[in-house]
Amino acid sequence: MSNNRPQKQLKKPVIKSKKDVWYKLDLSATVYPTLQRRDFSSVYRLSVKLKDNVDPALLQQALDLTLPRFPTYKVAIRKGLFWRYLEPNSRPGPFVQEDIKNPCMPMHFKSNNRYLIRVYYYGSRISLEAHHCLGDGTGGMCLLQTLTSVYLGLLGHKITPSGFVLKLDEDPDPGELEDAYMRYATAKVKPPRPSEKTYRIRGTKEPFYTLNIVDGVMSVSEVMKTARQYGATITEYLNAVLLYALLQKQTAEFHLKYKPVRIAMPVNLRRFFPSKTLRNFITMVYPSIDPRLGEYSFEEIVTQVHNFMRYYINEKFLCGDITTNAATKHNFLIRIVPLFLKDLVVRTFYTRVQDKNSSAGLTNMGALKVPEDMKPYIERFDIYMGQPFSSRTNCAIISFEDILTVNFASSIVESDVERYFFRKLVQDGIHVKIESNRSNQL
Amino acid sequence: MSYCVNCGVELEASLRECPLCHTPVVNPKEAGKTVPPSPYPTDRGQVEEVKRKDLGILLSVVLSATAVTCLLLNLLVFNRSLWSLLVIGICICLFVFTFPMVYYRKMPPSLSLLADGAAVAVYLYMIAYLTPSTAWFWQLGLPIVLLVILNTEIFTFLARLVPFSLLSGALCLFIEIPLFCAALEVMIRRMLSAPIRLTWSAVVLTVCVIIDVALITILVKKRLRNEVRRRLHF
Repeated sequence: MSNNRPQKQLKKPVIKSKKDVWYKLDLSATVYPTLQRRDFSSVYRLSVKLKDNVDPALLQQALDLTLPRFPTYKVAIRKGLFWRYLEPNSRPGPFVQEDIKNPCMPMHFKSNNRYLIRVYYYGSRISLEAHHCLGDGTGGMCLLQTLTSVYLGLLGHKITPSGFVLKLDEDPDPGELEDAYMRYATAKVKPPRPSEKTYRIRGTKEPFYTLNIVDGVMSVSEVMKTARQYGATITEYLNAVLLYALLQKQTAEFHLKYKPVRIAMPVNLRRFFPSKTLRNFITMVYPSIDPRLGEYSFEEIVTQVHNFMRYYINEKFLCGDITTNAATKHNFLIRIVPLFLKDLVVRTFYTRVQDKNSSAGLTNMGALKVPEDMKPYIERFDIYMGQPFSSRTNCAIISFEDILTVNFASSIVESDVERYFFRKLVQDGIHVKIESNRSNQL
Repeated sequence: MSYCVNCGVELEASLRECPLCHTPVVNPKEAGKTVPPSPYPTDRGQVEEVKRKDLGILLSVVLSATAVTCLLLNLLVFNRSLWSLLVIGICICLFVFTFPMVYYRKMPPSLSLLADGAAVAVYLYMIAYLTPSTAWFWQLGLPIVLLVILNTEIFTFLARLVPFSLLSGALCLFIEIPLFCAALEVMIRRMLSAPIRLTWSAVVLTVCVIIDVALITILVKKRLRNEVRRRLHF
């Protein structure tokens, strides 16, 4: 984690007195509430599957003990004249509830006692759903793992806090609450964003807030072995498989002319810019293949993705990207525009440009680390990127010990991309076990 | 343990068909065995409705207080005329306009439009009641309200029925405007006891017909339609 760039001083959150605490939305978080629709919210889900069934009463107790340690998650979102902001929420809740078939339902800001998180249990699984305006997957994972450790503690198991598990008796570090983007947006140029129209998956829309899930469970060592055969990392290999699946899908459909296939992949900036923040600190990179240049073999796709990752995912390029994004918040003229006008412009830009910029989403949380004494109680983790903004599929990858889970979530009836994806893995000799909520639809 | 014969993936024990290619699972060795429960819940969740009870209460209290206090002021202090009817009418209109947004969000738009029209008609009648003659209300006020409501109902009905675009919306609007103008002129002439014929509305009618012909041509010709959309995109 080398970082020689001049850093801005870490700012404390705006605190006047204990009763007068509020938080500005971070740079990414300003966009998510704007995209809120009656049938869409930027909600993601993290799940942990334990070895034993969950006791809901103890889980509620654990949640009540855990949440005050995460002040930016125990909040409600409010509208100001120019920006939205988060304010502490002291209403009762959030309450744990039995899991539902259609996860990542829209989260209206005024419902659920204004909380922006939901906690579910089902059998041995604990699931946390959080609105993206609170934080990214890393922040959510900290909350989920701390909640799980407190729950296990209430069951009588001794868990030593480390890594994602935070100490409950400590006050939150100001670094956990900061908007880290602003600290690192220091590049002297603002590289332009890619804005080419890409291939869009055609599919039949499911009824209101149906989320189709297909999970593929496989062995980390098997995937790693296959990825190494292609000279790539697991992320690069799975990225290449998804691009390959999307290319196959485009070829199978009727198109007068092909369009580039591009994946929107969030990169965890904490790997490059040291920060303890539990809020959003990600940026998007877009590995792509352009079939108009010729037919790509799978090996060529892997090489393309491998080179793309090596070229773009480094401190300098990412800093430029952050600076481009932060420019909007630095601009005085933009800042003084009333919120409703900002909403209108951002929503139009996102719908007409940003959403058309990628064919699918893929996130890889990587190999999860949990405290050693917590490992025996955990079977696996799952992550869902949530309902896509338009008709497409989102793919999320997470691994724990030797279990790697690829979770697809989509709001369309067809599962072609998932089929091409998993068939390619099987062709490459990887054993895949499929779980889905699709076939038991009523 | 079953595998999909098409995809080659292992299927979780509760799956009865492959979720990727929909091939049914037929495993003779597992025939008669009870199917284990799915790892996913079967109950669907419902999005919690946002309660606007507080806003509803506040609005009702403010509107009723305004209406009642004005009525009392009218009856007890300034009692030369029934001026409070104007304020009460405004309160009724505001209540009816905000009803679908605050109190009953599932109200069909067509019904809500009818209610809005009825509220406006009642308010106009209240004004007419305070004027020496109510003839203008019956001959002009009420027919105009009915005409506007009818036009809006047709517009919303078409917008919901057919795939709505800016061009088709404009076409619909430019058909309704001249019809409305023509009907309006006829009503005005009838009220003034003038001979029934079209004058200024004929000009509107002509302009709108030209625009309609142009819009229909653009909508029918795909190339032209795409050109217009490309040049006017925002």
